Amino acid sequence: MISRPLPVATRTFLPIFGVASILVAWQFLLPAAGVPAYIVPTPTAVARVFGKSGSLLLGNFWPTAIEALAGFFIGNLAAVALAVVFVHSRALQAAYFPVVLFFNTIPILALSPIIILIFGLGMTPKIVIAAIICFFPTLVNMIRGLDSASSNEHELFHILSATRWETFWRLRFPRSLPMLFASLRIASATAVIGAIVGEWIGSDKGLGALIIQATFNYQSDRLYAAIVLSSALSIILFTLVAFFERKLVRY
Amino acid sequence: MSGVHSTPLAIEARKLEIGYRGEHTDVTVLTGLDLEVETGQFVCILGPSGCGKSTLLRVVADLLVPLSGQISVLGETPHAIRGRRDVGFVFQDAALLPWRTVRENIRLPLAVGRHSLTREVADKTDELLAMMGLSAFADRHPHQLSGGQRQRVAIARALLGEPRVLLMDEPFGALDEITRDRLNDELLNLWRRTRTTILFVTHSIAEAVYLGERVVVLAANPGRLVADIDIRPVKDHGNRCLREDPAIIAKMAELRQALERAS
Ligand SMILES: Nc1ncnc2c1ncn2[C@@H]1O[C@H](COP(=O)(O)OP(=O)(O)O)[C@@H](O)[C@H]1O
Ligand SMILES: [Mg+2]
Repeated sequence: MISRPLPVATRTFLPIFGVASILVAWQFLLPAAGVPAYIVPTPTAVARVFGKSGSLLLGNFWPTAIEALAGFFIGNLAAVALAVVFVHSRALQAAYFPVVLFFNTIPILALSPIIILIFGLGMTPKIVIAAIICFFPTLVNMIRGLDSASSNEHELFHILSATRWETFWRLRFPRSLPMLFASLRIASATAVIGAIVGEWIGSDKGLGALIIQATFNYQSDRLYAAIVLSSALSIILFTLVAFFERKLVRY
Repeated sequence: MSGVHSTPLAIEARKLEIGYRGEHTDVTVLTGLDLEVETGQFVCILGPSGCGKSTLLRVVADLLVPLSGQISVLGETPHAIRGRRDVGFVFQDAALLPWRTVRENIRLPLAVGRHSLTREVADKTDELLAMMGLSAFADRHPHQLSGGQRQRVAIARALLGEPRVLLMDEPFGALDEITRDRLNDELLNLWRRTRTTILFVTHSIAEAVYLGERVVVLAANPGRLVADIDIRPVKDHGNRCLREDPAIIAKMAELRQALERAS
């Protein structure tokens, strides 16, 4: 049997119903089951935090947003630039790709204290950590994307006597976009993780710092609110990436 | 058709050895190839897969340098002729760029490389679209086209610079028979109007006989020319024939024998 798509109204209603049903269960069933509020506060308790300490939450949201966004741009831009260099010089790729590969095997958590030692306690180390976390997947994907044009396509450009620049700009780069965006989607979540991890280790500002403070003070409603904001930040970044993907990759 | 040529031959190969240069040894694909193609001729190259048909076209298109021997295209080296955009190439898989519309794909030759294509040529896009029956699809993307339409776009793109030699590497090989027959007729009409020299690679005996004025048969192991058969005697002046004409069927049998003898 071929499954028919659901009607539009049902398709918008069902996810809302799904979320609502879980929130209701969370609100009433968890306390009834005896789960204490300091471990899992109810959704209404979390929502109250947004009303009560909205400015505190927002004040900690912006630093993290800026760090994640800056890290996202710097990390991905650097990855794209290095990928362009690598596909145009196989010698450089052979020489330096293993080095990059080695750095990628160092857990970011192990690297973070060093980065904070180097860059101090401001926003810079968090941006650096977010950038590093975005860098490697995009580098690998971008190299593969730039190399993904078929040999027929390259031969077509050769027959037309296209220059290296033209082959890059009119063939390799547009060919790479689907793979670039695949890694940008992933980076939209990991950049936020990078910023928060950086804040855990050394910061008194940002959602990461808020998460740590709230945990130590048993303010679990505040902790959950911070988590909700972190994931909202990822979703915003992801939506931006998806928006540009739909604009640029129309095939 | 022997004697002094007023115009240079479209293609002239002498003792041509072609293949791929390896790190230690070269792999010869076609050996001892002598071939003359007059300008305006429609020549089909027929042979089993792997015998070097694509490799031969790659040499003519300056995608591959021969191992030894001479080859000239329109009296010049393939390299010189490529620089002047006198050779058009149609790939089996069309090789359209998916992010460009049909119109933009056809105009790709204007967008890259140094060329002397004039405004007149550039303004021919609409004419080409109409000629290939693509006017209604000009703003579509390749994934919105059928296989036959994609191949039409590829042909239109190859024709944009009004090349004097058109190289086609199994352009209809992946199409269904009905579409293939229709595109065969369209290609013949096009050739009658433009009299562009066409080198058409196929592994279909029927297609080779139907399209070509002449069929060059290649064999594998070692790759070489084994027969060069004139089809004009069984066709009319416009290179027209009926597929079921007994004389045509006899030519097909002759080609089949040539292929079998070689293997
Ligand atoms: N890039 C290459 N390097 C080495 N050998 C190749 C290459 N391309 C094709 N060949 C070999 O050359 C021979 C002829 O290939 P090809 O010209 O594609 O055959 P055809 O088009 O007649 O099917 C084949 O044996 C193939 O394995
Ligand atoms: Mg082939």
